[in-house]
Amino acid sequence: MAEYELDCLGEACPIPLVKAEKKLAELEIGDLLIVLIDHSCAMKNVPEWARKEGHNVEIEEVDDGEWECVIEKVK
Amino acid sequence: MSEASTSGTSGSIRRSSRTRKKKKSQLPIGIAAGIVIIILGILLALKDPKLGLFWFTGMAFGFILQKSRFCFTASMRDPSLTGSTTVTRAVLVAFALTSLGFWAIKYGASQQGLPIPGQSYVVPVSFATVIGAFIFGIGMVIAGGCASGTLMRVGEGFTMQIISLLFFIIGSLWGAHDFGWWKLNVISNGKAVFMPDVFGWAGALVVQLLIIACLFVAAHKWENRKKEKNA
Repeated sequence: MAEYELDCLGEACPIPLVKAEKKLAELEIGDLLIVLIDHSCAMKNVPEWARKEGHNVEIEEVDDGEWECVIEKVK
Repeated sequence: MSEASTSGTSGSIRRSSRTRKKKKSQLPIGIAAGIVIIILGILLALKDPKLGLFWFTGMAFGFILQKSRFCFTASMRDPSLTGSTTVTRAVLVAFALTSLGFWAIKYGASQQGLPIPGQSYVVPVSFATVIGAFIFGIGMVIAGGCASGTLMRVGEGFTMQIISLLFFIIGSLWGAHDFGWWKLNVISNGKAVFMPDVFGWAGALVVQLLIIACLFVAAHKWENRKKEKNA
């Protein structure tokens, strides 16, 4: 089980999602992907997409307007 | 991108613990900004009651837009990007509500024999509308937000979209500069349709809400179709 960090700070809405999608595909089952986001729109659609795909997701506001979205790949 | 070792737990997902800086409280700044907004609003209202109204509705609109994470761009983009249509359906609900409101205002005015407000916004529809909407759609996805979304995120402090705002202003000015030519040569070739003229007042409302309801059902179906494919 490994942990990866994906830095999407400063990137506008669809880009964090597309990056997370691509990165998550490379991961092994059980790995964690931590996506760093500071775009309010992506902070909503990244967790939503990951949950819909069936992964475990946690979102945490680490600073004002900065979020960490932790995705555990389960399949 | 860096690989970190896994040790320690936090929350329900096991992950490496990390120290983070404490968040600064934004409450004092928020209260100060709120007071300034109210004072400015009162001053504007004293100058012209309309200005005060615009000021407060504008503030309320921005606040709701930011808090609800409402995004017209996402409503058009996410169905094809992720198959999610939650925002799309939220926009459709908003359209249905505003349709009811506009209908009530216009119907009320026409029943009292007053001039119907907002009729200058009934503009010709033609193929130009389709092309323009398509270009706008490409632009807003690249810029990361439509007009309201860009303004809201610049206010939020997302620096990259200040560039969007700059070119949004340049584009608007350019568009306003050339709008007379477009209106004369392209837009006026279309036909302006005011739905109550075609379907009657009740008919217009029913047709409008039916179209929105059909889109809502289609959006819901679209989301579930994608879900089944992934499962």
